Amino acid sequence: MGKDIAKSREKLPYWRRILDASLPVDLSYIPIGLACGILLNASGFNVWTTLMVSVMVFSGGAQFLIASLLATSAPMYSVILMMFFLELRYALLGSSLSKYLHGQSLGFTALFAASMNDENYALNYLKFSTDKKFTPREALHVEHMTLVFWTISNLIGSLIGSAIHIDLTIVHFALTALFLYMIVVQLKNGLIILICILSGFLAAYFMVLTKSTLGLVISTLVASFIGFMAEASIRKYFPNSGLLRHIKNPAGSPEDVDE
Amino acid sequence: MEWNTTQHVWLVLGCFCVAFAPRLIPLLFFRTRKIPVWFNEWMRYVPVSLFTALVVKDIFITPDYVVSIAGRAPEMIAAVIVIGIAYWTRSMAISVVLGLGAVFLLAMVV
Repeated sequence: MGKDIAKSREKLPYWRRILDASLPVDLSYIPIGLACGILLNASGFNVWTTLMVSVMVFSGGAQFLIASLLATSAPMYSVILMMFFLELRYALLGSSLSKYLHGQSLGFTALFAASMNDENYALNYLKFSTDKKFTPREALHVEHMTLVFWTISNLIGSLIGSAIHIDLTIVHFALTALFLYMIVVQLKNGLIILICILSGFLAAYFMVLTKSTLGLVISTLVASFIGFMAEASIRKYFPNSGLLRHIKNPAGSPEDVDE
Repeated sequence: MEWNTTQHVWLVLGCFCVAFAPRLIPLLFFRTRKIPVWFNEWMRYVPVSLFTALVVKDIFITPDYVVSIAGRAPEMIAAVIVIGIAYWTRSMAISVVLGLGAVFLLAMVV
């Protein structure tokens, strides 16, 4: 039966496969994009500047930050500086995808980088690591599909303006749920679970310390480096350790492609 | 201070630059260079660490960057539900939709 599903999937037109692959993010972008458009409108952005920011910045967190900083009339340089610290984590996304995008043309790399964000990175990283046939071109189109949903939702939000009240924290949970899902599917052995817990504590510590999302970058760098060092040491000194043993997957989905 | 549209345009352009540079530079750097094995092994731990950090930020960190669980009971309970759903179904769409439904209902009850 699994084979039949796989076969019928291959028959689907290309755009449908991209839509299927990006659907979880597309759907969660609708309420969040609407909320974001409404907030930008309330902070003085018109439809055109909303269109500009959703295509050029394309980051939920960044756009919410712009809206809230404009409401407090912060000076422009401070908004851009905070934006820089908020967006610094994208350097990590690019680094961890770089092995799949090796040797692409300059134009492709620039285009891919321009619309990469947390959510479509999550989709593409999962696709690249589980599906050997997944191509950089498909990854780019997944990005653009999520961009279309995001931009249209932003524009509609901007147009309906302040007529609607949305509880932001609840809507934002769609993204939290997406990240939780991403964590769960990556918990393949005991060591990763330990690193995950460590990363959580480090993230809280460094974010409180730096008073910015720069803490996210520091904690991610530290936790992932500890994970890498721990794995190397365990492989070297305790090759039979249970920490690296695979955890059973109850749903029996296909295992990751090991490089 | 009210901002006009010209200032908004400049703001967006400035934000584009600081958002684009960190996205582009690592990809550009590794586009033609050979990626060291140790770097790839390190980067394998980046997604899980980053997503955990983002979840901690969403649930436990206030907009003023203070650790607080006040009023976050719906999110915390819904997070546990999402972890369970994700573990058993391995479906991203079901996890997100049921998680959003759970937090919506819990926010009305709790």
